[in-house]
Amino acid sequence: MSLIELEEISKNYGSFRALDRVSLTIEPGITGLLGPNGAGKSTLIKVLLGLLRATSGRGRLLEFQLGRHNLQIRERVGYMPEDDCYLAGLSGVESVQLAAQLSRFPGLEALRRAHEILDFCGMGQERYRTVETYSTGMRQKLRFAQALVHDPPLLILDEPTSGLDPAEREAMLNRIKILARQHGKAVLLCTHILPDVQAVSDAVIILAKSRVRIAERLERLSQPTSPSLKIHVLGDAAAFTQRLERAGFKARVDALGAITVDGQHAELAARIWQVAQQANIGVRSIEPSRNSLEEIFLSAVREQPDAHS
Amino acid sequence: MPIHDLGYREWHERLASPWTRWVVIAKAGVRRAWQSTWLRRMMFFAWLPAIWFATGFLMWEQSRLSPDIREGFSVFVPDRPGVLDGLSERLSIEDESVARHSVWSWLLYTFLRYPQGGIMVLMVGIIAPPLISQDVRSRAFLLYFSRPLTRWQYALGKLATVWFYLVMISAAPALVLYTMGVLLSPSIHVVVDTWDLPLRILGASAVLMIPTASLALCMSSLTQESRYAGFAWFTIWIMGFFTYIVMTGIEINRLGMETDFAFEKWAPVSLYHMLGQVQGWIFDFASFDQVKYAAGILVVITVVSTVILFRRISAPLRA
Repeated sequence: MSLIELEEISKNYGSFRALDRVSLTIEPGITGLLGPNGAGKSTLIKVLLGLLRATSGRGRLLEFQLGRHNLQIRERVGYMPEDDCYLAGLSGVESVQLAAQLSRFPGLEALRRAHEILDFCGMGQERYRTVETYSTGMRQKLRFAQALVHDPPLLILDEPTSGLDPAEREAMLNRIKILARQHGKAVLLCTHILPDVQAVSDAVIILAKSRVRIAERLERLSQPTSPSLKIHVLGDAAAFTQRLERAGFKARVDALGAITVDGQHAELAARIWQVAQQANIGVRSIEPSRNSLEEIFLSAVREQPDAHS
Repeated sequence: MPIHDLGYREWHERLASPWTRWVVIAKAGVRRAWQSTWLRRMMFFAWLPAIWFATGFLMWEQSRLSPDIREGFSVFVPDRPGVLDGLSERLSIEDESVARHSVWSWLLYTFLRYPQGGIMVLMVGIIAPPLISQDVRSRAFLLYFSRPLTRWQYALGKLATVWFYLVMISAAPALVLYTMGVLLSPSIHVVVDTWDLPLRILGASAVLMIPTASLALCMSSLTQESRYAGFAWFTIWIMGFFTYIVMTGIEINRLGMETDFAFEKWAPVSLYHMLGQVQGWIFDFASFDQVKYAAGILVVITVVSTVILFRRISAPLRA
């Protein structure tokens, strides 16, 4: 069963249309929500949470109608906002405890749960300091803990890794993967950091200019339209490309020196090795080529507004 | 690192009632406010006037046994004009139960109107300004409203924070005074004569709490800087108070206007005096006709403040 189903959802702010007939189906697993600034990601999240009422269209989150069962939806969703928001004057553990209590955890249980989740999020003794004294990274972890504390089946994470150092970023992505793979949580991961999405996501939604441009499994998106091999060589890639063309291959080289050769059968690789040997060129790698998320994102964003997803 | 890392664990325990969410907000607000040293000091000083009025209860009850003390009791019952007219006559009533009711009412009314009314202004000025403005500044609305929390529950929780402290300085000490009066009286039957006083205490405390908390939180919601909200709060009270004093003084002393008429005419400029008038009606020291404008204005202030407060809470979510 789909986790989220949206049908023709539009949202206007006065004359500005922030969401334009957005239709989506989001399955369980980790889904990356991508889009340039102003694409409508935050508006979409607020509509999902019932913080904004859609101008038109309808939708369902879990088994609840959007706009009608907002409180039930928010009981089952953990939301980590992108904004630097915090509860002033409270310590880290008190903030998480309060979040748990607002989700109906009894007082003492909420405190126990808060400590448990802060342990999971890698927060040490700093949990006893007031939130105002926290660094950006600590606040990120705290917001993640607040989103997670009531054990929601769906997590909406808005830029969860921004402001984290590389080690913390990797730890955060690992936590997201653990929650999705081992605990069955569905995650909607909204970020500008494409490698994060590529690292953890099962599916990708790309919004641009208020519309959905792409909503597809990442595995399918990564496959090129025609099979090809991607070759990295030691030496002059352009010269080797010409050599391949003279040998009858359809080959081209990109700006980064990666050579793409059309076709993907086993003999093709053997023949490329032969040409490389003859040209005295060292081959670093030959692998089936895949569309990078960056390419997919850029091509989706550059499409004309009325192009179909 | 925790000594015994449990990793992530799912939650399958029982949940609390959904109707208690505003209590969570209120408790957090009360705890947060109590961190202020000034508030703790003020709470201590807020109970000191109760000692003076407790002495009043004691002297009144003793004066029934030994008339020598009656002279001394007059310090608690100044012969004031205006809404208090007739109190002295009531004190001389021979029927002890009627006299006791009047004196206790007067003591409780005076206690709530004068010392506690003044302390209320200071206390709300400390507690209320940061309650919502801090949430606006730290963008905490998203954290609150991404939870299953309605805007009314949020507003009620914040109001309850202020109400809690106001109860602690108004209804709570007044009820303690009343209980003390009962204990000092010669018979438990005085409860029958004075059963309505606890209700009047609660009513007078509600008059003190409801409009003031709504107005203070409305101001807090209008700014990100709590000092601006605090400044506006104190300005309204101080300006209103002095305008009332000056204008009634001019009209009574220079223009020869009747005292009652001048008080009634200028009370609407001063929140403090409006609250006092309505409390006077609750303790039966004024008729409703005398306080109807003050009561109407307080109702309007409460409603308008609450509407603005609600709209301001909703505003960040619409952005």
